[in-house]
Amino acid sequence: MDMTLNAFTLSILTGLQLGSIYVLIALGLTLIFGTLGVVNFAHGALYLIAIYLAVSINNALGFGLALILVPPILFIIGVLLERGLIQRFYDRPHTDQILVTFGLAIVIQELLKWAFGANNIPFSIPSWGNGIIFMHDYLPFLEGFVVYPKWRMILVVVAIVTVSAVFALLHLTRFGLVIRAGMRDAEMLQFLGVNINRRFMVVFGLGAMIAGIAGVFGGPVTQVSPEVGMQLLVPSFLIVVIGGMGSLGGAVLASILIGMAQSFTAPYIYINTIIIYLITVIILLVRPRGLLGAKGVFE
Amino acid sequence: MTTQNNFWQHNRTVLIFALIALTMPFWFPLMGGYSGLDTKIMIFCIFVVGFDILLGFTGYLSFGHAAFFGISAYVTGIMLKSFSDNIIPAILVAVLAATVVAVIIGLLTLKRTGIYFSILTLAFAEMFDSMAMSMLQKWTGGENGLTGMPTPMLFNLKMQGDTVFYFVTLMAILLFYLAKRIERSPVGLMMKAIKCNQTRLEFTGINARKYKLLAFVISAVYAAIAGALMVVYEPFVGHEFLGWHQSGEIVIMSVIGGVGTLVGPMLGAGFMLYFENVLSVNLGEQWLLVLGAIFMAVVIFMPGGFMEGIARLKKRYFTTVDGE
Repeated sequence: MDMTLNAFTLSILTGLQLGSIYVLIALGLTLIFGTLGVVNFAHGALYLIAIYLAVSINNALGFGLALILVPPILFIIGVLLERGLIQRFYDRPHTDQILVTFGLAIVIQELLKWAFGANNIPFSIPSWGNGIIFMHDYLPFLEGFVVYPKWRMILVVVAIVTVSAVFALLHLTRFGLVIRAGMRDAEMLQFLGVNINRRFMVVFGLGAMIAGIAGVFGGPVTQVSPEVGMQLLVPSFLIVVIGGMGSLGGAVLASILIGMAQSFTAPYIYINTIIIYLITVIILLVRPRGLLGAKGVFE
Repeated sequence: MTTQNNFWQHNRTVLIFALIALTMPFWFPLMGGYSGLDTKIMIFCIFVVGFDILLGFTGYLSFGHAAFFGISAYVTGIMLKSFSDNIIPAILVAVLAATVVAVIIGLLTLKRTGIYFSILTLAFAEMFDSMAMSMLQKWTGGENGLTGMPTPMLFNLKMQGDTVFYFVTLMAILLFYLAKRIERSPVGLMMKAIKCNQTRLEFTGINARKYKLLAFVISAVYAAIAGALMVVYEPFVGHEFLGWHQSGEIVIMSVIGGVGTLVGPMLGAGFMLYFENVLSVNLGEQWLLVLGAIFMAVVIFMPGGFMEGIARLKKRYFTTVDGE
């Protein structure tokens, strides 16, 4: 491929940035699926709530407050949703879960469209995140003048920090130990006297909170309009499936893979539009459980 | 029991459906339905009845059936435009094309179950949608859709207005009758056994995959016929015919009506299109919100859809104390 080093680097950066948004949505999806066994089609709608909250608070009170307020609010919304609706569906078939959350997604999307209108709402980036980064100052192998939008690099950093925090929570704390045990065998955990229901609630809240973080930082990039939720949900779902349902590592890996694939095929429009579906189909046919899917999970 | 009695018992629902459907032009305008909407309802009845053979009988939830609907619609449109304005060759070629695609997709996707199957079918449909918008633009018209078809003809008969309605309705009655025949045939029983317990079915030495593929392809053929008729009804094909919105709509219709009952999904289709086109006038912009809420309520409180509601009402008001 006759690609210059500069173009190659920019493609890598764009791939990372695309993957960052995907991973923030897919992480919550796969966390909820792996622990609660619930296929949440409303996760894109949670992201939608997050970006509308973020843009409203940002425009009225500033970005700092949006950053402080939106993730906790999303956590509370997640907990309320789990208590009020999702917990009734633990014992129902997966198809019922897909259907009810699909309905919920429509309701949330239409409510937001009603309240904010169907058009894109401009989300202004705070002054410290505006502008561009001179990549050639940091990467000496680049030739000449290479720049990249600063905000998109911040998004990548946020995604890395969030992913690391979730992994630390799951692997370094007692709470994480219980959650991981719950992902393995929830029934056994209950026999051991662990109140798994309470933790399920927290996990759902956590998934929603990650969508909240995604909304605060992703809003300016993905735009703020009612269609964004579903537009992001479909690729994120494919990513969760490619990575292996319920596998956090798989979700991260698949996000990067899809981000890179989309970034590198960008010059070839015909391939670019179908690459994600093509990869999904190929991977699922070759590796039925996805890249890192565990045996016996949802089969 | 005489043969006549048997015939009546087996085909009661089909005859009632035929009666209701064929008289639609007389009573439908009374409840605010404009002419043409009845045709569209009949087309979607065909789509959902076929979909129920897959979802209702075998339990496989496809989120990509719009692919067959859309492919067939595009092929019909292209045939009408460049081959002949007669609809018979157009429909035949379109259904054949969709069937070939269905066999290939079915062979690939039916290896998986549950959510994996749903996602794979979704991915295939979205792939076709993207292809229609980019590399096949020359034939599909891309963003603008496929237009410029001549008035479709059934040999010497112009397919317009009531002619289309009766043509479509006769097809719907025939296809509903066939679905009923499939339901009570041994093949239908096998399909239902897949939903109950596929592993057990396979242990008895039966090749479940064969029946799954059959159900998938039959439902795709129904979708393809609906797609072709859609072009006969209105000479336009847009890429939204292929999109996940279309697939989702079919799922909603089936669930609201009652999955696995054949009649239920048709009720759902009628309700949804009536709601979307007539009641929505009163609700304004928020009709989709109300529809989403109704859909959620049905899934939460009445998983069997309208048919379960009807059964409950029947039980409540038509059962005497001693149970009959």
